[in-house]
Amino acid sequence: MTTHSTNAPVTMLDTPPARRRPDWLKGPRAALALPAWAWLTAFFVAPVGMVLWFSFGYKPGIFGTHANDRLSFDRYAEALSPTFFQTFQNTLWVGVTGTLICLAISIPFAYWLAVKAANRHRGILLAMVMIPFWTNFLIRTIGWQIILAPEGWFSGLLQATGALDEPLDVMFTRTAVLIGVVYNYLPLMVLPLFVAFDRVILPLREASKDLGAGRWSTFINITLPLAKPGIIVGILLVYIPLMGDYITATVLGGAKGNMAGQMVANQFQTAQNWALGSAMAVVLILTILISAAIAFLVAWLASWPLRARGRLVLGSPK
Amino acid sequence: MKQRTSLIDLSMRAWAVIVFAFLFAPIIIILIYSFNNGRLLVAWGGFGFDSFASIVTKPAIRDAVWVSLQAGVISALIATVLGTLAGVALARRAGKWVPWFLVLLVLVTVTPEIVDAVALLPWMVFLGQDVGLGLFDNGIVRLVVGHSLFSTAVVAYIVRSRLIGLDESLEEAASDLYAPPLRRFTQITLPLVTPAVLAGALLSFTLSLDNTIVAAFVQVSGSTPWPVYVLSAVRTGLRPEIAAVSTIMLLLTLGALALVAVVLRRAGDSATDIAKTVGGG
Repeated sequence: MTTHSTNAPVTMLDTPPARRRPDWLKGPRAALALPAWAWLTAFFVAPVGMVLWFSFGYKPGIFGTHANDRLSFDRYAEALSPTFFQTFQNTLWVGVTGTLICLAISIPFAYWLAVKAANRHRGILLAMVMIPFWTNFLIRTIGWQIILAPEGWFSGLLQATGALDEPLDVMFTRTAVLIGVVYNYLPLMVLPLFVAFDRVILPLREASKDLGAGRWSTFINITLPLAKPGIIVGILLVYIPLMGDYITATVLGGAKGNMAGQMVANQFQTAQNWALGSAMAVVLILTILISAAIAFLVAWLASWPLRARGRLVLGSPK
Repeated sequence: MKQRTSLIDLSMRAWAVIVFAFLFAPIIIILIYSFNNGRLLVAWGGFGFDSFASIVTKPAIRDAVWVSLQAGVISALIATVLGTLAGVALARRAGKWVPWFLVLLVLVTVTPEIVDAVALLPWMVFLGQDVGLGLFDNGIVRLVVGHSLFSTAVVAYIVRSRLIGLDESLEEAASDLYAPPLRRFTQITLPLVTPAVLAGALLSFTLSLDNTIVAAFVQVSGSTPWPVYVLSAVRTGLRPEIAAVSTIMLLLTLGALALVAVVLRRAGDSATDIAKTVGGG
């Protein structure tokens, strides 16, 4: 917003006359954000900054948790040493696979919800998608523990029907963690995809069909590209919390399904090595940011030939 | 052609049924197992109401739920007030500060909860013991602070997107008619954003009730919230009471959800708008 001085020539290119208001009226409303700003600085920026500071320190002796009189990158080297690196690899595997499975489940499901489902049922169907999302995270995960238990009824059912010869053996493995995270984050993928598909209005799809495109071609060339922003939001909403998850892995994973979140927690709660735990936390954030950046770069490069060939140009090209 | 069309539709409908079954499987299991009379949650020991009876007799469970409810209400209040003010400022008072503030909100949203948790624990100890602010040794205060961060950002997003979708002319008319800023805010802007504020408040409350990771780190013994109580039970042995409490809480949440849906529908939103508002988009 440009500041108007009273004796300057009146140019109203940026604001129509009706929108001009005295400056004293503008001030207070910008200040409305100040309380939130102060709150988040005091309880988010400051503590996370402190963790960043700890990560350059070391653990002094058995009883100390952290010291910062010598600064180094040694804790980062330690966090990336083979034992811990494997956990980061494992976390990345669960994160990427889990997000892809969520995407694969959600695309047909959200499309059905937005396009195919009867209009009068849509509200209740959406509410049904949200119910697990509003049920306690930990309790839902415990529900899976009951289902996947080797001596549980599901295992018994599988054996009785002959699908399995011996008791179900997925509890406390990476597969169990994968089932858990896909379940826990699925609504976060379905909702933005639903909104995205809902925005691709019917006339556009009909126009595509009128111009001779089949339903598959319409979906690939019209609906999916237009829904792209929603797909990106969904991927981020699932991938970021999934990478930092530690509850699902604790309840379903046991020792074999270890994830980075547990490792960070252990350094703070059990090992009492805050310096190393802080470095791990920073590495975790960097892993999330860098892997997301790489994924988008790859997707962008992969779609390059498609975009160069198939771009719809309206009007005459320059 | 006709045949093939209906086949695709049919398989999509079948897929939807499977997805709903997947979404509801563990919840239905928890509902059923809350009537488990056995000693351990995982092993079925006959149908009965013992688990519901023992909620009444075990103070530890009631205390944990009570702590969670207190922390939920207070942190939802704080997040709603801070987030609403910030959302209004973001939508209606664009300026150089907006990108910086948005970066802060995005950082708050994308930081994994476990990082918030490990950061807040030493910070609370520092504030409480080194700085001498005894307030931060209080269990409820710690939980409220920890739960309010993410929620504040979420409420700000929801309120902002609601206001951006609304024309500013109503508010301009109010100031043209000489309404002072405060009155304009309380009588025009606030009623306009009410559905978004309500959705945000409910979401904050639920997020707080759900919060396990931050709570597990910052909690003070003596004020253990419900999810942390359950988490410690995961390690020592889950009992059916946990499923019983979950069943009661699920019913309460559904009631609250229905209430919000009714309020939003009164305000004229379609199902899609409600999903967008509640989903934060």
